[in-house]
Amino acid sequence: MAAQTTAAPPATALAASVEGVTFSYPTPEGERLALDSLTLEVPAGGVLGLLGPNGSGKSTLLSILACLRQPAAGRVTVLGETPSAALRARIGVLFQETCLDPLMTPRETLALVGRLHGLGGHDLRQRIDSLLDAVGLATRANALISTLSGGMKRRLELARVLLHSPGLLLLDEPTTGVDPDAEAAVWSLIGNANRDGVTVVLATNNVAEADRRCDRVAFLHEGRLAAEGAPAELKAGLKRDSVLVDWPDVASPLVDEISGWDGVGAMRWSPPTLHATVDDASRFVPRLFALAGPAQTGARRGGIRGVRIRESTLEDAYFDIVGAAISGGGDA
Amino acid sequence: MSLAAGRQGAAIACGALLRRDLRGVLRSRSQLYSSMLFPLILLAVLGTGVSEGLDPSHVRDGDYVTFLVPGVMAMTLLFSSTFSSASYYHDRDSGLLRVMLASPQTPAVILTGKALAGVTIGSLQALIVLGVVSVLPGIDLEWQYGVAGGVGLTLVALLLLALLLNGFAQLLATRIRTMQGFHLVMNLLLFPLLFVSGAFFPIDELPAWLKALAYANPITYAVDLLQLSLYAESSDGFIGIPIDLAVLGALSVALFLGGVRRDPGALP
Repeated sequence: MAAQTTAAPPATALAASVEGVTFSYPTPEGERLALDSLTLEVPAGGVLGLLGPNGSGKSTLLSILACLRQPAAGRVTVLGETPSAALRARIGVLFQETCLDPLMTPRETLALVGRLHGLGGHDLRQRIDSLLDAVGLATRANALISTLSGGMKRRLELARVLLHSPGLLLLDEPTTGVDPDAEAAVWSLIGNANRDGVTVVLATNNVAEADRRCDRVAFLHEGRLAAEGAPAELKAGLKRDSVLVDWPDVASPLVDEISGWDGVGAMRWSPPTLHATVDDASRFVPRLFALAGPAQTGARRGGIRGVRIRESTLEDAYFDIVGAAISGGGDA
Repeated sequence: MSLAAGRQGAAIACGALLRRDLRGVLRSRSQLYSSMLFPLILLAVLGTGVSEGLDPSHVRDGDYVTFLVPGVMAMTLLFSSTFSSASYYHDRDSGLLRVMLASPQTPAVILTGKALAGVTIGSLQALIVLGVVSVLPGIDLEWQYGVAGGVGLTLVALLLLALLLNGFAQLLATRIRTMQGFHLVMNLLLFPLLFVSGAFFPIDELPAWLKALAYANPITYAVDLLQLSLYAESSDGFIGIPIDLAVLGALSVALFLGGVRRDPGALP
């Protein structure tokens, strides 16, 4: 599958780039390919979303950009340099899972991380105070982390990745498992950092989040780049509506027949739901019921239990381009 | 980053990791108290029991309790090293090890910081045991090199043994996936080594095969050094400081460097 790439924004500076990068994990059954000759550019100063199902290579790509893993092949440039341990001083990484010692306090955690980044003294103390204030944890600075809520922990982790004023933020599912208020707070902090010139790379399978927060989105599928562009550009060629038909016993010939109708785009049968992107749901749905509604007889009769219609999203764009859904799979 | 700045950064990072693990031990009161109480209980029960119940003529003045002091210090260090290295699993499982590895410090610096924390904690605990027992009635330490010389030599012995044990524990911890497995292997390997180190009974009266095992055991040289510093009246019947320092020094450096150069394996 050739990657579909729309024009990059006018800014030519790149925060990072990978070219022909391949990475495999050793498994008992042999090597498992996580990135397959991936080429991608990260424009400086923007928010780039990496969108794909679990196992598509998002987290592996982040760990390579974070200088934590070395690819087996290909070239990587981050903030104008080749990856090294020293370069990690300019990168902030937010891992998918919570990475905090429950027996430490927020202040101790930030002090430890600050010193690991070579910070210290009055400047570090001042920076910690200012960040704890910014993430709303000033009053819990000396409480054990085990007593903080999930949202507080995520905000503390964001303070941790911003502590050393990185030029590149790598965020792996930053709002997974947090409530809407905490999500808004997390994105407010990320937005502030981005306005200050920090480039953000966001790995997610939350389509709405990618659509709303990212300047550009890269679709990853099985370790390869399937498409890349601004969310609006990726959705531009889509059918307008997305129709989800609850139809547990739909017969295969019927699916073939429906997919041949005018105005019908990609179709996917994922029991019990038939998912179709169409030009106009108001014409498609009556035609569907005329085909297989209660008035029909024999094999065509009934079976449709419900229909949902929504505007097409990036998930539909992913589905259209890749031919697979974003949900499902194993992590990489 | 210049070499000097890199080294300074590494030193600051190691210091931060050491402080953090020290704070963790002080915060975990149950671990602290039990690790301090156990050797004292062992001294009181085993020492007195053997002194009263067996023929202790092979130890100086028939005083088995005092004989046991260097061995108990070595044992305290052994337990402490095991617990300290278990913090590797705590950090790995909490995800904090990944955060450490995402910093500009190399994995070797991170593991060195953690191992130095283990060395410091273990040595301090053993010194506290020494401080407590040296003022107890019934404990008659000889201090053949004087108190200052004895404390200095004790400190060297403890530091070398702590380096050796923490390096060894780090080697194991980075290879064994679960903390339960780690404790099992540590106990399986280190307890027999402790028993044939001269910590609980003199080795010069042992049968030849057991004596050979004792001389092949690195802990023997640390116990010998501690006994020479604290308990012995002279070096007669002991291995001797030069051999102790040479064997222990070489093995400590080798195991410590081997331990901190391992891949921490904290990435998913």
